[in-house]
Amino acid sequence: MGPVAALTRRDLLAAIGAAWLVDVELPARRPIEGALLGASHRVGHKLRDGAQAATATRVERADVVIVGSGASGASAAWRLAAAGVETRLLELEPFAGGTSAWGEDGVVAHPWGAHYLPAPNPSALGTLRLLEEMGELTGWDAGGNPQFKEESLCHAPDERLFHGGQWHPSLIPASALEPNDLRELARFRDVRNRYRTLVGRDGRPAFTIPLSLSSRDPELLDLDRMTMAAWLDREGFHSQFVRWYVEYATLDDFGANLTDVSAWAGLHYFCARKLETDQLHGSHYLVWPEGNGRLVKHLLGRMHGHREHHQLVTRVESIRDGVRVSALDLRGSAPVPRTIEARAVILAIPGFIARRLVAPAVAARLTPRASSPWVVANLHVTRPFDPNHAWDSVLYDSPSLGYTDAGHQRTRPSEQTVLTHFRAYGSPNVEATRADLIGRGWASLASDVLLDLAPAHPELADSTSRIDVMVWGHAMPRPRPGFLNAAGREPLETDPVLDERIAWAHVDQSGYALFEEANTHGIRAAEHIAHVLGVNAGTSWL
Amino acid sequence: MDERRYLSPALLGSVVVIATSGLIYELIAGTMASYVLGDSVAQFSFVIGLYLFAMGIGSYASKHIEHDLLRRFVEIELAIALVGGFSAPVLFLVYTSAGAFRAALYSVVLLIGILVGLEIPLLIRLLEYRLALKDLVARVLSLDYVGALFASLLFPLVLLPRLGIQKTSMLVGLLNALVALAATFLLPLEHGRAWRMRAQCVLVSAALLVGVVVFDLYALRREATFFGAPIVYSTQSPYQRIVITQSRQTTRLFLNGQLQFSSDDEHRYHETLIHPAVAALGHAPKEVLVLGGGDGLAVRELLRYPAIEHIILVDLDPAVTDVFRNVPLARALNREALLDPRVTVRNEDAFAFLDVTTSNFDLVVVDFPDPGNYAVGKLYTLSFYQRLRQRVAPRGVAIIQTTSPYFARHSFWMAAETIAAADFEVLPMHVHVPSFGEWGFVLAGGPGMKAPETLLVPESDLRFISAAELPALFRFPKDMERVKVGINRLNDQPLVSIYTEEWDQWQR
Repeated sequence: MGPVAALTRRDLLAAIGAAWLVDVELPARRPIEGALLGASHRVGHKLRDGAQAATATRVERADVVIVGSGASGASAAWRLAAAGVETRLLELEPFAGGTSAWGEDGVVAHPWGAHYLPAPNPSALGTLRLLEEMGELTGWDAGGNPQFKEESLCHAPDERLFHGGQWHPSLIPASALEPNDLRELARFRDVRNRYRTLVGRDGRPAFTIPLSLSSRDPELLDLDRMTMAAWLDREGFHSQFVRWYVEYATLDDFGANLTDVSAWAGLHYFCARKLETDQLHGSHYLVWPEGNGRLVKHLLGRMHGHREHHQLVTRVESIRDGVRVSALDLRGSAPVPRTIEARAVILAIPGFIARRLVAPAVAARLTPRASSPWVVANLHVTRPFDPNHAWDSVLYDSPSLGYTDAGHQRTRPSEQTVLTHFRAYGSPNVEATRADLIGRGWASLASDVLLDLAPAHPELADSTSRIDVMVWGHAMPRPRPGFLNAAGREPLETDPVLDERIAWAHVDQSGYALFEEANTHGIRAAEHIAHVLGVNAGTSWL
Repeated sequence: MDERRYLSPALLGSVVVIATSGLIYELIAGTMASYVLGDSVAQFSFVIGLYLFAMGIGSYASKHIEHDLLRRFVEIELAIALVGGFSAPVLFLVYTSAGAFRAALYSVVLLIGILVGLEIPLLIRLLEYRLALKDLVARVLSLDYVGALFASLLFPLVLLPRLGIQKTSMLVGLLNALVALAATFLLPLEHGRAWRMRAQCVLVSAALLVGVVVFDLYALRREATFFGAPIVYSTQSPYQRIVITQSRQTTRLFLNGQLQFSSDDEHRYHETLIHPAVAALGHAPKEVLVLGGGDGLAVRELLRYPAIEHIILVDLDPAVTDVFRNVPLARALNREALLDPRVTVRNEDAFAFLDVTTSNFDLVVVDFPDPGNYAVGKLYTLSFYQRLRQRVAPRGVAIIQTTSPYFARHSFWMAAETIAAADFEVLPMHVHVPSFGEWGFVLAGGPGMKAPETLLVPESDLRFISAAELPALFRFPKDMERVKVGINRLNDQPLVSIYTEEWDQWQR
């Protein structure tokens, strides 16, 4: 053995040592990819800023045009299909579903917005019909209550809360709370149970779904005159935890802080769900990987006619025996103007957009609503499989709503999944928030998500390969105090008719974004249009 | 200081160390070979033969070393430290593949043998001018044999039980490296060279120490104590930690630390799982579905019925089925059941499999781990059993593992109640398995299913079940009697928390 061998041996040992050090201290880290998606505010704002279509060279004809493919528009198309009516669906976005949009890239489909449906009340007839058609409703028990497909109810464990540096197996970390918190929680539960079964003087339930079936008892409607925060004060709920818990709910359903939401809406959230069956002893949330996108997919799958994306509708006006729809086709490099003359039109879009399309007299019938901005992020992660992972993970003391696991309903264990992170911006100053969000880039929004989750998941960046972010400038109507009277008609009364052959189907009508509301408004508008067209749509689905 | 005064005692002392460590490495190799490849007589015989032969090669080769004998001596000692010290970890890493294991085993034995074989003649030559030949040979050889005695007592009585095979290997390597280091101080080496060699010794010692620390960090030693017997196979799949331990008489399989079977009494479990169900069916089944049971032990019992045409075994984890198809020790336990041409192994999620398959089965064997977490718990829900119901042929039966009716009484009866709610007639059963305690199953079938009275397999083939013992399986004494607990559904899974509480009580 000469010096060369000695050198080799030393080199080898050095190499082993170096490799070990590198392996331990410098794990190779791939950069996180991602994209910023968003309801097309740039295109949409063209309309706000007065974009007008040039005249189309030819006029297309259609039976019924539906503008907007969210839950309302899809429900209308579904209802009309059952009456044998053909529809043409015009959608601005490249994707369908509105705020029930979903993604299918990655290991599992995932929601971009509305991500669960609480088991609907027996009174939500349209939605129950839909679920039955989908096979999600499997039958009715002796008490007349619906039974659901067990696999679609959120598998246990459904939720957990990160509080005081650790996970608790429910949103209420009983072991970590002060006696006063627990007393107030118990009292809140009592109030909730009272309202759940309370019947107003008009014989209607105090709170139910669809909203329009709720009681008009003035004493109950008075709750709409104050904010949820004021109501909590009045009722003596001062526990920080209880107020966090209630605000989590108002953010989740309305995107609003306690100080900017009607107490009627806040209590409705807690007290409107009535269904109690053996089956719903556990979670009563219907959860699919793509969230409520699953419902929209089915609705759209049943429609007669077809759907066109990248269509910016600029004008909807009544003409003799019909409606003229002007639009810009944005599919190509330059916008192409088109004109469609339809026998009738359903506007399944928010009021603030619809009023820019129609004649001023018609616009007056549209209810203006404040809307809450949201940011939704989908994180594609690979990490060790946790057999006890909850569907919904919430962080106490975080401005976000936490995240859900899109892969939760799979039975096959997997290390790969998509986590959907939700943040609603609940402050009263929605315009400033929107302006700020629109100005921010992907990197800033994505790192916000990681920072938000860092207390519970400091290593998350290492297991994440992709973060896509969606900014929803106008995610949902915000039921501010007085929202029940904002429609310019009697509280809780809605009317789909905008003009002779133009109907409106949107949750802005109730001011409250629930799938059942969207579905109900879609069906109601469709049945009205069928009637106008003289089509026999059979008995009402509502 | 006259360094030369220390030379003879130092060299002779190192003879003991070399002899001891050399034999320990040989014993480590033999032990691992018999764990992995089975047939310990043959394995020990091969390892010893090869080792002695390699020593011969080394001794012969020693004549080619002509210069710098002291330096070579230290270098070889260091090489022994490195190869021997890491022999067990290296063999451990190539465990899964029988082919690679053999190659690694024989290379390691050959290499250590050659190195040790070089060392003794070198020593003799280093001492040749200090002692008369007769004294020299007498001392060196006697110390060599004393070292061997030392090793053969130390290894089985102290090292293996106290430190486990991995740590023994690395710590003995460390001893070799330290002896080499000491030698650089005691032997008259050229100054500059000595420092360089000391650095090498320190590096090798450090590497071995790091090995021990890393090993501790990965808690393998803790597991060895936890499992109560040496681990002979261990791997982490995406789904679970798989550990096989082997003591003198028994082989045990653990999934996520939970005992799945012990080879000394698993026949009670598996005979009870299979033969009463076949008897209740009334004829040997043709089409059988086994869900879970990747160890192949249930399949082994099924293959006693020649009429069986096809068995589909669905087990999620290929890491489990691969072990029981490939590793000789594991393959011997199931008598190569998973290699039988009538058996199809599918590594799929059982839930999803029941969704896609359209076949009907005369017999379905459901043998999952206990519902200790929400992922496994899904396989104990109404939804799962409803799917199962669809796949059991009209006059077919299913037999379902449902944890202990004694230790987890509410869990057992909740599983039974849930199965019954999926439109099955149920006949709960229990059996005593010493390593588990009282264990329970639910025999499930269509209307009119009756408890079996005779067996359809010759009793002489079985070790536990006989027709006379059948009625006892279906009789539940008072402390295991039915309790009314409700149904386990996917959206609630009370079974997981009840199960966890019940077992926690017994472990306290």
